[in-house]
Amino acid sequence: MGIRKIDMKLCIGCNVCVDVCPLDVIRLNPVSKKAYIKYLRDCQSCFLCEVECPEDAIEVVAVHERRMVTAW
Amino acid sequence: MDYQTHEVRDIDVLVIGGGIAATFAAIKAKEAGARRVVQVDKGTVGKTGNSCFAAGVIHVCFPEDDLDDRLMRLTRAEGYLAQQDLIQDHLQDSYPILEDMRRYGVRLVMNPDGTYGRMAGRGAYPVVMFYSTQLMDALRQHAQAIGVEQVNRLYVSELLAGNGEVSGAVGFHQYSGDFYVFRSRSTVLATGSTYYKGIHPGQRDCTADGFGMAYRIGATLCGGEQNDQPANAMPARVDVGPGMNKWMGEGAVFRNAKGERFMERYSPKLKERSGLPQIIAFFCIEARMGRAPILMDATHLGPENMERLYQMLPLPQREFESIGVVKDGKFQKLVEFCPTGPTTRPGVVVDRSYASRTARLFAAGEACSPSAVVTGLAAAATSGARAGASAARCAHDSNGIVGDNGLVGELRERAFGPLARAGGLEPDHVLLELQEAVIPYDVLLLREGSRMERALKRVETIRDQDLPMLGAYDLHYLRLCHEMRNLVLTAELQLKAAIQRTETRNILREDYPFTDNVNWLKWIMVRKEGDRQKWWTEDIPIERYPLAPKREVELAYLWRVPRDLGIVSIQDGRVQWEFEK
Ligand SMILES: Cc1cc2nc3c(=O)[nH]c(=O)nc-3n(C[C@H](O)[C@H](O)[C@H](O)COP(=O)(O)OP(=O)(O)OC[C@H]3O[C@@H](n4cnc5c(N)ncnc54)[C@H](O)[C@@H]3O)c2cc1C
Ligand code: SF4
Ligand code: SF4
Repeated sequence: MGIRKIDMKLCIGCNVCVDVCPLDVIRLNPVSKKAYIKYLRDCQSCFLCEVECPEDAIEVVAVHERRMVTAW
Repeated sequence: MDYQTHEVRDIDVLVIGGGIAATFAAIKAKEAGARRVVQVDKGTVGKTGNSCFAAGVIHVCFPEDDLDDRLMRLTRAEGYLAQQDLIQDHLQDSYPILEDMRRYGVRLVMNPDGTYGRMAGRGAYPVVMFYSTQLMDALRQHAQAIGVEQVNRLYVSELLAGNGEVSGAVGFHQYSGDFYVFRSRSTVLATGSTYYKGIHPGQRDCTADGFGMAYRIGATLCGGEQNDQPANAMPARVDVGPGMNKWMGEGAVFRNAKGERFMERYSPKLKERSGLPQIIAFFCIEARMGRAPILMDATHLGPENMERLYQMLPLPQREFESIGVVKDGKFQKLVEFCPTGPTTRPGVVVDRSYASRTARLFAAGEACSPSAVVTGLAAAATSGARAGASAARCAHDSNGIVGDNGLVGELRERAFGPLARAGGLEPDHVLLELQEAVIPYDVLLLREGSRMERALKRVETIRDQDLPMLGAYDLHYLRLCHEMRNLVLTAELQLKAAIQRTETRNILREDYPFTDNVNWLKWIMVRKEGDRQKWWTEDIPIERYPLAPKREVELAYLWRVPRDLGIVSIQDGRVQWEFEK
């Protein structure tokens, strides 16, 4: 659950992050025309949105915040 | 539910998936003359699956490499369960496919003289390197440029099949909710595999959907208990990876809880650059002896190593920075590693043209059984290329698209079912239960019959009690519900196959430590017949293949090493742990 925030001041509503997110975590608010985190729990910290956002508006941190089942 | 139904007709080749196998299939179908090629992805083509997040290296057999030797290594990695003719085709095709990639706009690391820059990775042959996500971006764009129609955010829920042949697929759009019916002359399933949404980035959309779809229409599957890579190894407590190949290639080492560089003991020659079956097995043995956690030590890497890592692994390096493991251009801390969930895959059985045993259905990449397609970008690409060309031929030769006799209505109802139970069980809840049954290392990576039976009982309970109650609040959760259904089925098929294989081949089994080349040069197959699950074995035509092991029963290599180190002994045909005596 690595996506921490989308900076509303920087976001220009270009939809890139919505398109690239493999897990459908981000959507565009139809009223404000800004991106927002809709399904935080499904984020896999892959950083695609952060890397591809043209305005550097997104911050992702690579920590597990959901419960992870590991091999041991 | 007032979602509309759209029919997409007259498709020559329908390709399901947006990874490298699918995209190559779509491109090659088009190149082979298919008129209408439609590629469907549940995310955005090129931004999904394993392919998008692969760790920057491609294993290609160069003309100057020894193909026979490479065939031998891959065949051995598969424990001789490989379809050697397909592996040979793959190796032969891999260099031309690399050249194709370059033509399509993929950037690869080149030497100043224009030759490919090859670097030592894990394994005996140097690898080719590419620049992260640029690879799939270039392939997606090339596919679009030559006229492949791409449909994104469309979750394919079922194949359309009747009279023993496949005539397309159906699914729903995750934004609009509209239901789509794709009618095609031939179909390529390239939906990848699964890691049970486990510990590493870039895999939570790999949910075994293709295995489920193929199984439900009666396609033959095989390989639930085996793979050339039984699991991967990843940073355990942080969302970072993959990149083990590269970190180890640059000189990182593994240490156990006592600080020992244990891979030196088990594998004195290759050490951390050993194959994944070895790394996973020796991780598990260390854990079994109470010497976990296992830590990656890369603190000694210098500026040159780090520069290469930043070039090749920009995402993982950024991830490490975000949590302070890498600072000021250096690894500052050790990183805990562990195996991922099991990656054996009950994939679609294919022949040399990547045709399944069901008419008009082809498969490529990790949607295929492991015996046909080894893990990795190169094999996914070569199989995709062949599947796409075969599917185009099949479409060309076909005389029309078969009807569906009222099936669509039923599939639509099935697709939206969980929305009617909005108050039902959450898919995440069921996922946790399933993960707890199959991910622990001592279930499918360090195997033992009674432990697997116990896990299977749990999975069957989830299947019978939880799945019918799954509920979705909205279309996003609807997709998760369908993914759960496919994951639970895959776990069931994996466990049942693993229980049947009463030997240790490339995965440790405590109650059967021998490799049995007298009785077990066999594939374990499964198919749905009506409401029944039919299991059977087929002999590997080993005498027709270039390579065959000695027909004898011997202690598996993976157990010989710890036995010779005095860690285990073999008593009454079972493994006895010395530390338990
Ligand atoms: C951690 C890790 C690191 C790796 N690093 C490397 C590496 O450096 N080099 C290398 O050669 N190999 C690497 N591999 C292996 C390699 O990435 C895979 O073998 C390869 O990408 C598989 O490709 P694929 O096309 O078969 O599947 P995937 O790339 O997984 O594609 C499956 C596609 O199907 C789509 N899909 C699935 N279900 C549905 C559905 N129901 N409806 C619509 N679409 C669907 C997915 O969205 C996805 O696009 C790595 C694998 C892992 C796990
Ligand atoms: S990519 Fe960046 S600018 Fe574009 S919508 Fe997303 S957050 Fe906003
Ligand atoms: S980090 Fe990856 S999964 Fe998370 S929101 Fe961004 S693109 Fe989506």
